[in-house]
Amino acid sequence: MPDAAPLWATVVLPVALAVAAVVAAGFDAMLSGSAERGPAGSVREAGLRALAPLREALRLLVQRPRRTTAADRLLGRLGVVLVPVAAVLAGAVLPWGFRAVSDPSVGIVWFNAMEALAWAAVWLAGWGPNSALSLVGGYRFLAQGLAYELPHMFAITTAALGAESLRVGDVVAAQDGLWFVVWMPAAFVVYLLSALAMSFWGPFEHPVSRDAAGGAAAELAGVDRLVFLGGRWLLLVVTAGFSVPLFLGGGHGPLLPGWAWTLVKTVAVLALLVAGRRALPVLRMERYMEVAWMVLVPLTLLQALFVAVVVLNR
Amino acid sequence: MDLRGALRRTAMTRPAVLAVTLPGATELRLEAEAEVRRRGWPVVDAPAAADLLVVCGDPASDDTPWLDGIERSMPEPALRIVAGESGQLADALDTARRDLIDKAATRRAAEVAEVAHVADVSDEPGGHEHGDHEGHGDGHDHTMGEVAGLPMAERGDDRDELRLDRLHVPIGPASSDWPAGLVLRLTLQGDVVQGVEVDHLPLPPSPRLPFWDEPWLRAAHGDEVSRGSAVRRRCAAHLDSAGRLLAVVGWDDVAARCRRLRDEVLSGASRESIGGDLRRTVRRVERSRPLRWSIAGLGELPADRARAAGVSGPALAADGDAHDRLLKWLHEVERGLEGLDDARPLAPDDRTGPRGRLDGPQPPSRALLDILPELLTGAEFACARIIVASLDPDLDELALAPVSGAAHA
Amino acid sequence: MDTWQPMLVLLGVIGAGLAALYGLGLWLAAARAPLDTGPFAGGLEPGEHAVSRFHVRWYPVTMIFLAFDMEMLFMYPWVKVVSEVGTPAVVEMFLFLGILFAAVAYAWREGALRWT
Repeated sequence: MPDAAPLWATVVLPVALAVAAVVAAGFDAMLSGSAERGPAGSVREAGLRALAPLREALRLLVQRPRRTTAADRLLGRLGVVLVPVAAVLAGAVLPWGFRAVSDPSVGIVWFNAMEALAWAAVWLAGWGPNSALSLVGGYRFLAQGLAYELPHMFAITTAALGAESLRVGDVVAAQDGLWFVVWMPAAFVVYLLSALAMSFWGPFEHPVSRDAAGGAAAELAGVDRLVFLGGRWLLLVVTAGFSVPLFLGGGHGPLLPGWAWTLVKTVAVLALLVAGRRALPVLRMERYMEVAWMVLVPLTLLQALFVAVVVLNR
Repeated sequence: MDLRGALRRTAMTRPAVLAVTLPGATELRLEAEAEVRRRGWPVVDAPAAADLLVVCGDPASDDTPWLDGIERSMPEPALRIVAGESGQLADALDTARRDLIDKAATRRAAEVAEVAHVADVSDEPGGHEHGDHEGHGDGHDHTMGEVAGLPMAERGDDRDELRLDRLHVPIGPASSDWPAGLVLRLTLQGDVVQGVEVDHLPLPPSPRLPFWDEPWLRAAHGDEVSRGSAVRRRCAAHLDSAGRLLAVVGWDDVAARCRRLRDEVLSGASRESIGGDLRRTVRRVERSRPLRWSIAGLGELPADRARAAGVSGPALAADGDAHDRLLKWLHEVERGLEGLDDARPLAPDDRTGPRGRLDGPQPPSRALLDILPELLTGAEFACARIIVASLDPDLDELALAPVSGAAHA
Repeated sequence: MDTWQPMLVLLGVIGAGLAALYGLGLWLAAARAPLDTGPFAGGLEPGEHAVSRFHVRWYPVTMIFLAFDMEMLFMYPWVKVVSEVGTPAVVEMFLFLGILFAAVAYAWREGALRWT
């Protein structure tokens, strides 16, 4: 069993996740910039574009706090704050190399439980401001949850089944040699889709999309907005990062040490998601629901059956 | 010198822009979009996130209250500028940026003024402070009185004869990616549109011709207009509409490319320089199966129904749903590519603007507005926005109704 | 306790971090007193407060979801005993899942997964 990380890791983890979120958001801003304004002419220009998320954070910090008439401030604020809290707590079981902040025997269930907090978070943030458009956004996320959550749970259960353990450390150890992605490709792809969906980002950003003036985030200003939308990037980083121990062999790999492999693989997954986002419009749940239930659920079930048969025969 | 002041000033070096376009100001909107994009300032779609409200067009006196309302709901540091004349925008933005930096740095004055204002309001019966306590809506209280000056939702029948809470929400005119001046008074149950009333801002008689129809109208008045410039205008209009629809659908990347191409077409870029980029973008949209799957079947408008409603132009020719209309626009753009530099004069009897026949009994956008209620009722809010964007009525045309009608008669 | 202690510490760290961020915001904000304002729906005032009984048309999906999601909980302990119990574990679990999915397919045919 891998040994637990020292306690100072609890301070390093949120900082590391925040740095990763800023880098990922910067990469995203660079790609958006080249779509809007053409390719960056110089390295300096590209760098300036990549700094957009940090500039935005500072801008929001300078904004005056704002609240809407007869808002439910307690629940609204709770929803806002819950997004980064859920992300970082889920990140606690994320192994860096072979060591996580904590590696409980039910780590996978913990991860699933924490990310399920996003349901409450987005809905509460949408309900709080007493505004029609943010309410619409909040409810969009509930429908989204109904679509992504089951395929997602089957996907992570399949990985756990491959290792016959709910401990993340065991799942990584079971991939010494053969990564799970090789014999669970369907589960991996479904996992990535649901990672996007639960961080309500990219093709799944309907709950906060422009057509509803920002949906659940429509009335958020200042630090509230920073925490909510920044927390969204944290969620994306954590869920994308968790695909590494689940399917991509965690810290396993030749030559490089475990932590370096974790880093390389996480960066690769994030880059894939951020770049791949450009190929898709936003998916609306009235259309996606059917696909999720009638294609993704049976697909992940068959994948799980296949893995179960392999496990029986090894 | 002081860290706090420096940070505040830095924060405002690229203020976030909320742009509102008034009817008749299409040209100003395009200029503002291009200028803001060139500077790399963030563009936002709600006052909560905005620092700078850019009003494109001259506000009529009727517009003042709601524009004031938007400005008041923007958190400090906040500023409104009005871009009334083309060519002055760059200076206005520079000044605005300077003012915002000053505002951010001098904080005390703003705060004192605001505290006094809040105190005023809470003295009134049913003021904000009072509302905060009742706004939590505990389930026992079913008396639908006013809370903080606004009634609670009442119930009404839905299409399945359930009695459900109804909200009356006016959408526009400051929504982003939205036809300038359009106001849809929606009756929402959940996010389902149960009723639509099409309304618009007052359309002051303007000496300016509607921007998108200009070449054809000028030719009709006997001016010398080259075919190339008319084709350019049509391509740009369709790229603008396509960019708007794609932005509403949430495909920001392609939407941004469409808008960049639109500006290049308008600024006179040659066929060779934009042809490749344009064809790639059109192919990308055409081939996207997720896009087709996502918006196919929305706002179905068969040709016979369209014709009966008086629709002409791409919406009639597309003979189908939002996706068909999008492809129709893009294919017309691609076809137009050949004629971008055609110097021959436009025939004065060619009156087919980007949105349809300009010599009909009513401007083409009138018909597009008239069929909105029928297409929107029963749609979800997101679908309703997509349908509106896929028809993209141009309210500038409404102000022109008598002129083009007279020209024909 | 050793495994859960770091989670508590982590929660404390995030709480402190968020408090610091809000504090930083107050220190930097252009004005400290919150701005009290109406909601935004496009510039004009809405007719009512937005908080209301929200009509969603995907009620049937929530019901199906609940049924299926409850079942998922059994799968967590199940993964740990698959090879221990052997073939019966797999057969029983997938029979169970198959029955559930048959119900989903029925609901789909009845149109429960589409609402527009």
